[in-house]
Amino acid sequence: MKVQLRKIDKISILDCSGDVDLYSSPDLREKLLGEMKSGVPNVLINMAAVTYIDSSGIATLVEGLQLSREKKTHFGLFGLRNNARSVLELARLHKVFALFENEKEALEKISSVKPFGGL
Amino acid sequence: MRIVISSHPKLLNILRCVVRYCAKQVGFPESDVDRLAMAIDEAATNVMRHAYKDSLEGKLALNIQAFPDRMEFILEDSGPKVTPEAVKPRPLDEIRPGGLGTFFIHSFMDSCCFDEHYDAGNRLIMVKYLPQKASSDDEGTIKKN
Repeated sequence: MKVQLRKIDKISILDCSGDVDLYSSPDLREKLLGEMKSGVPNVLINMAAVTYIDSSGIATLVEGLQLSREKKTHFGLFGLRNNARSVLELARLHKVFALFENEKEALEKISSVKPFGGL
Repeated sequence: MRIVISSHPKLLNILRCVVRYCAKQVGFPESDVDRLAMAIDEAATNVMRHAYKDSLEGKLALNIQAFPDRMEFILEDSGPKVTPEAVKPRPLDEIRPGGLGTFFIHSFMDSCCFDEHYDAGNRLIMVKYLPQKASSDDEGTIKKN
């Protein structure tokens, strides 16, 4: 898995690619929580190139959600493939996270995401 | 087929590849193939975290057997006995990190149980029936070898 950070205005985007599992999720966790703790108001994760995510990856996303709630910042995911989306749905987390179809929609709507994560 | 790996999370990818390959060969649809790979990944993750407590020195053995109507996956480790309660799925209405691995295993497999008679560590037996042969009457039954 690779995680790369880019910024558009006041929005931080983490572009993830590959498999997110017990081996790779600590890297995502470090970068996601590190970016959130740096005080940025909006954080998005680009999941379009994430080929697999397991419970440890989901746990990392939930940690990000919890931190965004604490800091009253905006956090969302976009570009989820069907397998990642179905896993979130099965765990009933699809309504907890702010999910966007693509980057365009995410950039337009992220600032309207409520601090508790949903739209 | 039997595959033995060390308890290094880097090797989970190999387990997933093997499970995907075997499940495809047996004839599971693509959606089940991915879910079976995830179930085994989650089971192995539990071993690494709970039985071996993140030590990289342990061994995991995955036995995969294909039958006309199902596949059996038997995951063995030599760590201390893990009580089923320790890896019990958590209620989904709790929004917190962790505790979902066992939930996914139970969701994706037709049956899943620890072999209480296995003394060398933990042996988790997971069964998935092929879609056309699935029958509620068979759920929970496991053919022991």
